[in-house]
Amino acid sequence: MSVKAAAKRAPIRLSAGDKVFYTINTIFLALMAIIVIYPLYFIVIASISDPDAVLGGQVILYPVQITMAGFKRILQETSIWRGYLNTIIYTGLTVILSLVVTIPAGWGLSRKTIPGKKFWMIYFIIPMFFGGGLIPFYNVMSSLGLINNIWAIVLPSILSVWNLFMTKTFFETSIPDGLVEAAKIDGAGEYRVFTSLVLPLSKAILAVMALYYAIGQWNSYFNAMIFLQNENMYPLQLVLKEILIASESTMGGTGETILEQYRMANQIKYVSVIVSSVPVLCLYPFVQKYFSQGVMIGSLKG
Amino acid sequence: MASLTLKDIKKVYPNSEEKKSKKKKKGDEPEKQKANLQITDEGVVAVQQFSLDIADKEFIVLVGPSGCGKSTTLRMIAGLEEISSGELYIGDRLVNDVAPKDRDIAMVFQSYALYPHMTVYDNMAFSLKLKKTPKAEIDKKVREAAEILDITQYLDRKPKALSGGQRQRVAIGRAIVREPKVLLMDEPLSNLDAKLRNQMRAEIIKLRQKINTTFIYVTHDQTEAMTLGDRIVIMKDGFIQQIGTPQEVFNHPINLFVAGFIGTPQMNFFENCALSVDAGKYSVEVLGKKIALTEGQNKALAAKGVKPCSVTLGIRPVHMQLDEGGFTGKIDVSEMMGSELHLHMNVQGNDVVAVIPTAGLDVSAHSIGKSVNFSFNPALCHLFGEDGNNLL
Repeated sequence: MSVKAAAKRAPIRLSAGDKVFYTINTIFLALMAIIVIYPLYFIVIASISDPDAVLGGQVILYPVQITMAGFKRILQETSIWRGYLNTIIYTGLTVILSLVVTIPAGWGLSRKTIPGKKFWMIYFIIPMFFGGGLIPFYNVMSSLGLINNIWAIVLPSILSVWNLFMTKTFFETSIPDGLVEAAKIDGAGEYRVFTSLVLPLSKAILAVMALYYAIGQWNSYFNAMIFLQNENMYPLQLVLKEILIASESTMGGTGETILEQYRMANQIKYVSVIVSSVPVLCLYPFVQKYFSQGVMIGSLKG
Repeated sequence: MASLTLKDIKKVYPNSEEKKSKKKKKGDEPEKQKANLQITDEGVVAVQQFSLDIADKEFIVLVGPSGCGKSTTLRMIAGLEEISSGELYIGDRLVNDVAPKDRDIAMVFQSYALYPHMTVYDNMAFSLKLKKTPKAEIDKKVREAAEILDITQYLDRKPKALSGGQRQRVAIGRAIVREPKVLLMDEPLSNLDAKLRNQMRAEIIKLRQKINTTFIYVTHDQTEAMTLGDRIVIMKDGFIQQIGTPQEVFNHPINLFVAGFIGTPQMNFFENCALSVDAGKYSVEVLGKKIALTEGQNKALAAKGVKPCSVTLGIRPVHMQLDEGGFTGKIDVSEMMGSELHLHMNVQGNDVVAVIPTAGLDVSAHSIGKSVNFSFNPALCHLFGEDGNNLL
């Protein structure tokens, strides 16, 4: 059979059972996709639609009476920009410090020869299941003099045990012992193995960890709410929360003003979701390529 | 370049505390054999009583079946495994507790173990950079090694862009560029296909002429062992079975294991043959025929004071010939190998293999189901006692 004829050959015929399976599968996955995507889409169209139309249930598939009033209201707040800056600083510091802590710890725990490996595993696992509670946590931070301090936001976030174990598993499965042994025979010590071999081969886990820590810090507001009193230090999430609460709670005056404030508060909800999510969404495509990238190709047999 | 001395080297992988306590509860089981590992109270014994002197620039091959301890021995020499007891000298220096990087050795791994993020050039230059060798010298050495291995055109490529054979050349290049005292190779060809393996085997022989160093090569392939080694160390269950030149281990296997392991096809064994002695002349009864042993064999047996007993007679397939007056067998399988014919025969319930040159032979007359007569030269047979050791 010629290549052309083979290319034209009809696809393999599916059995009736396969057809039913694929049909149900497709419908199910389509429904799941709608369940996931629609709320996100709704937030976008609701944020630029007239609040009355949103409240009236007219905004379902597309924006109605497009207005940017919500964005104008939010973006004219100077506190928003300060919040952005604070969040970027907190997130940047958290990402840098968390990688400095998590990656070497994960590498260490992934090695069979580390002294006291069992002890360190238990040491890390215990806080995964048992926490001291909010008041002891506050007391500790207070004793350390970290109330109203940037480090109260950054320090508690720099090591997630879950992320640490993910890193450990990555190293165990992705960096073969043979490679490390080859480097050691070539004359590399532990530090050199880590910097010259492990780190360059760990772009995937570095990217994933950076993203996880960044998103965690970007979206967090609780620690800031507990430990920060100075509004100038508020992160974006807390600023948005304050704006939202302010727009809901300052209702007063004439009926018309109250109605207007209510409409605005409703729109601000949607706008604030977008304002806080867009930067993270912009970041995602840059690290996505590392998620499934096999960096070990060509290193070993096969 | 250096000599190596291994004195009574032993490697034990200790039991974990959990296993130890379980064992105590079960009762006293001082020593048992599981597959080919010796499990004792102190742990799994991988290598023991390993003593060997390796001369400067010698090519030593450690060979044996899987799990015999050959790779563990190599890894102990490399410093990748701790030595449980015994002494290891590289030159005159005791290196038991010396880190791998300070032993002045290089190693080629079965899995290549190339650094995937570095180019071939950087892979080869890595160890020299760590030694803080001047850049110009690194460049010279890398290019020289690449020239020897014919990989100059791949220096800018990353390992993933190379074929298996090319990757293995790079791995060898990375090892030789350092001019190590000892070059260790752990089954370097086992990932390659048969053709490439033969080609690379020849390359390693050539490489040996070009670089002056001591080679220790681990393989489970006895053809590699025979063709590459100045001396072969045959191992089984963590013990050395025999050390000798390829010729020695082929012609004078010390026991049944070595006799069966070395040589393809495997040596034929006839069990329960009666060895008798009459007026100082020994003879052995094989498949109902009494065969008188040669003068040399008589002397050897008499010197050892061997009494009449039951023995296993071994004869290599290549030492058998078609002969009308000999034994009769029925051909089960006939394998045409080109220059020779491998006949698998059933002789009185015994499986016997004979390798017959095809020159002047009517191959069609030796097909499956046909009867064939064969004999062998008694001078080339081996006799093994009940303990499996060679009596000659």
